[in-house]
Amino acid sequence: MTLAVIAGAGMTKFGKQAERTIEDIGREALIAAMKDAGVDRAGIDEVLCGSSYGGPLIGQRILRDLGMTGIPITNVENACSSGAAALREACWAVKAGRADVVAVLGVEKLTKLGGGTLPLEPTDVEVNLGNVMPAVYAMRARRYMHETGATARHLAMIAVKAHEYGARNPNAQFQNRITIDDVMASRMVADPLTLYMCCPTGDGAAAVIVTSEKRARELGAKTVRVEASVLQSGLYKTGFRDMASSELTERTSRLAYEAAGIGPQDVSLAEVHDAFASAEIMYYEALGLCHKGEGAAMIERGDSGPGGRQPVNPSGGLACRGHPVGATGVAQIVEAVWQLRGEAGERQVPGAKVALTHCTGGGISGLDHGACSVHVLTS
Amino acid sequence: MNGGTSSPAYFPASRPWTEAGGMVRLHGSKCARCGVVAFPPHPMCPSCGAERGQHVVELSGVGTLYTFSEIHIAPKGFATPYAVGYVDLPEGVRLFGQIDAKASELKIGQQVAVTLGPVRADTGGAVISYKFKALAEGNAKGIA
Repeated sequence: MTLAVIAGAGMTKFGKQAERTIEDIGREALIAAMKDAGVDRAGIDEVLCGSSYGGPLIGQRILRDLGMTGIPITNVENACSSGAAALREACWAVKAGRADVVAVLGVEKLTKLGGGTLPLEPTDVEVNLGNVMPAVYAMRARRYMHETGATARHLAMIAVKAHEYGARNPNAQFQNRITIDDVMASRMVADPLTLYMCCPTGDGAAAVIVTSEKRARELGAKTVRVEASVLQSGLYKTGFRDMASSELTERTSRLAYEAAGIGPQDVSLAEVHDAFASAEIMYYEALGLCHKGEGAAMIERGDSGPGGRQPVNPSGGLACRGHPVGATGVAQIVEAVWQLRGEAGERQVPGAKVALTHCTGGGISGLDHGACSVHVLTS
Repeated sequence: MNGGTSSPAYFPASRPWTEAGGMVRLHGSKCARCGVVAFPPHPMCPSCGAERGQHVVELSGVGTLYTFSEIHIAPKGFATPYAVGYVDLPEGVRLFGQIDAKASELKIGQQVAVTLGPVRADTGGAVISYKFKALAEGNAKGIA
């Protein structure tokens, strides 16, 4: 069932932009998306703004200097899924007929935090005892490796593939190619994850214009259809939980496939939440792109790389495009739009018809993740 | 937290544990309705939703290491590197905590015992909490 269409997309280059304000970064992406859609200020009925560390009224602060005030502006915080969750609200606003044209913005400036691991909530029991996001993923990675026989070398292959794609993306934070030895020799962050297996922190924004098929035709915009927009939260378990798989991603993607009326085999390309290299391997399985326990084989075969059966993270992913937390979910959509329109340049997936985007995150003890969101887009 | 220098700060401040004979037993809550055990003690059952009947129970002092890591980049107050892991207790509770060991010495599936010790430094000094120590093989029950 088509929920809405994306009629325009735009983003800033991702990376450290400490000299710019978050408002300025956000405006650049929004203006690019509006120009792409051929819509002017008066044509936007509502704005949804996803950000995790942007602070109060982030959307209003960005829109004020554009004179886009008076309209409904909703700020959405859902950790790494903030931008994707904002998009979901926009899609349903259009589907329900509440708004005709909605601008969705994801924006973040992490350089203001001064580097290191992302700050987590001090009320959380695990945070008090020293848990950090890299360790959350590292512990899952170790259990996954223990159960499947995957090795640190497989994780390094993911990082090498991410950099190969990053080198083809002019908006990526990292555009350099690296080798397996480089990854293995980079400094340890949380055993077994080395630095190059971890996404960087950075700044950036991405925006899309969501509307109905009818309105997009009137605008004369190139469109991509949103066939599924699903958001779920992690289940709280006080006891044992299988950490070698992601129940939350399995559940969310299953609902998205059902809504879109497709299966994993129909996916031309996927943008997945590779905050850490081990997560990408585990999500191949959770998203059904390969069988259980075969994630390492998928990267070994080259299925998810350039020229592969189902390229994953052709943008470079969180690892190389970068991960300004609240912007990521929208940046994934921007990449999917460009891929489906055949405008992805050197990293274009030939004949891309169906794109899946997957954003999950939020460190909260007892849960797989705080939020997970999956979108299915078609050309 | 505790601004003074004379008495140490604890996390959690309620000190949900008992020390006896060199053994540390954490306190959890057990739901009278569904039997699910949770740590730290919950006022409501997070499993069945019962609003009352959460009884404090002592948890086992020894558990099984489910997975672990060694953290090299951490927030202020934590001395890197330090090992952390998830430990499964027989009551069906999984605990996160620091482990007094090097990651290279740890193995998934090994037995670890609950202990107390500093987990980080606060403005007022060390913060004491529960953590784990490795048990020699064949010594799963013998707590020093």
